[in-house]
Amino acid sequence: MKIVVCIKQVPETNDVTIDPVTHNLDRRGLAGVMNPFDKNAVEQALQLKDADSDAEVVLLSMGPDDYAESLREGMAMGADAGVLLSDRAFAGADTLATGYVIAQAIKQIGDVDLVLFGRQAVDADTGQVGPIVAEFLHQPQITYAASLRLSGTNEVTAERLLEDTKQTLVATLPAVVSVRSELNTPRYPAPRNIQLSFAKPLTVWHHDDLDLDDSRLGQAGSPTIVTKVYAPEPVKRELTPLTGTPTEAASQLITALKTRQLI
Amino acid sequence: MSKPELWVIAERRLDHVEPTTQQLITKAKSLAGDQFKVVTILLEATTDHLENELTAYGPDEIRIVRDDRFPTATDAEHADALKQLVDAYQPNSILFGATITGRSIAPRLQAKLQTGLTADCLDLRFDDDTLVATKPSYGDNIMCEIICPDHRPQMASVRPNTFVATPATGDATITTATVTFHPVDRLKVTTARPVVNTATTVGDANRVVALGRGAASATTIDTATKLAEKLGGRIGVSRPLTDQDRFTHDDQIGQSGNTIHPELIINFGISGAVQYLVGMQDSQTIVAINSDSHAPIFDVADYGYVGDAQAFIAALLAQFN
Repeated sequence: MKIVVCIKQVPETNDVTIDPVTHNLDRRGLAGVMNPFDKNAVEQALQLKDADSDAEVVLLSMGPDDYAESLREGMAMGADAGVLLSDRAFAGADTLATGYVIAQAIKQIGDVDLVLFGRQAVDADTGQVGPIVAEFLHQPQITYAASLRLSGTNEVTAERLLEDTKQTLVATLPAVVSVRSELNTPRYPAPRNIQLSFAKPLTVWHHDDLDLDDSRLGQAGSPTIVTKVYAPEPVKRELTPLTGTPTEAASQLITALKTRQLI
Repeated sequence: MSKPELWVIAERRLDHVEPTTQQLITKAKSLAGDQFKVVTILLEATTDHLENELTAYGPDEIRIVRDDRFPTATDAEHADALKQLVDAYQPNSILFGATITGRSIAPRLQAKLQTGLTADCLDLRFDDDTLVATKPSYGDNIMCEIICPDHRPQMASVRPNTFVATPATGDATITTATVTFHPVDRLKVTTARPVVNTATTVGDANRVVALGRGAASATTIDTATKLAEKLGGRIGVSRPLTDQDRFTHDDQIGQSGNTIHPELIINFGISGAVQYLVGMQDSQTIVAINSDSHAPIFDVADYGYVGDAQAFIAALLAQFN
């Protein structure tokens, strides 16, 4: 069984600032790390591999050459190989253009049974690329999986937590699954695995290595444009006093929470 | 020529409408002016009448597609049905709630339509007929304004409880539309069980009952536990209560514990030291009950009661029952 885990490299901290002159995001000096939610997806893949020693876990990422860092991190956890999609033509991609290149790369890798994603990246917080890739691959998707196991030679079973419902879903492979962070605790790379990881293949694919429609790449292939980036104003709150006896005040609160649809 | 349509995709929550749908209708109406027709798209079973929970909010039209497979349909099946409706009616914009369901279906539809989708928005406005969506990034530290200038429809998902639903006058026209339901055999929902509370920690709870030194008796903690259950939330505590056997560091809110931003936090007997406030002040709705009217917690609260926290919590639970 071949499992691809899609990972993103993100800044080490979310404490980013806005450059007061250029109004651009100031990311200088921020080291890149693997998106923490993606580690749960890597861990899930490795657990499936632990249960089926024939499984192969390939990490896939799109970004500049220094994204190799987080691919190495995942290989040190135990993944077998890494593929980095790196080309100036891919730069400036929004979720749609990113999903397109990743889907094309998964086709190129070939015979992929299962594609895993973390629930979302901690920087952009969209969680969109998984479903987009599933659509482009015409495969079933299970988002926000709270558990995942192989339940047959060609089948996975997952639990999914909606706001008010726990679903059990059964998917015939190939399929795309995004996982919740509560699913597992990602393993730390053992020293021996770190050493072994340097012998594992890390392939870089550029534009010409993939079958791509150029109109769907990078900025040109991205329907959305970020027009403004700013630091949020602290929320100004106006205090509404609750008055009278505790019973009267509690009744006022219940009315207010009903208006806000919180109860 | 008829007005371009602004869509709100209705979402089901068990046997009711997800409240975010009603919030989005109110927001869509305020955005629409004379420029757009607000249409709520409702996919429901033949015996459902979820439209009855939508008419009071005054969309111009509720367009219903009925099929008994919708209540248990998968994301791809929903997206396929919506794609057919988009092709038939060509809306200008489509709004989803940024619930788990909304955030799963919307990008799948986006990929089918090859258009732009902005996720988890905190504000929306129109510049002419271009939707300007404000979305947080970097854990809400940064706000971005995002547009989709050249593709239609424009899509956005909006964080629940960002807007307040307001009943409105105006009779919604109720119409029906048909689509071809294309079942996807490769994915089946085999069980679906209602759960009151899917939160496992204070960090992922949407509702938090927070207890501090002024609400630390065993009886009050029991009452608070019941209240948290009623709300579908979890208990969190300020640092002093982590010394109690019933709580650990995992339950702590604040700089040295969890930073949380639930939809609702009710603070009982918490004065609001700086290291506590930084861990919760970005919550959507903040309620504080404290005996000291000068307690800093009131500076960040939407609703406040000066008085005995233990008496208040008992009164509140009594009225929930």
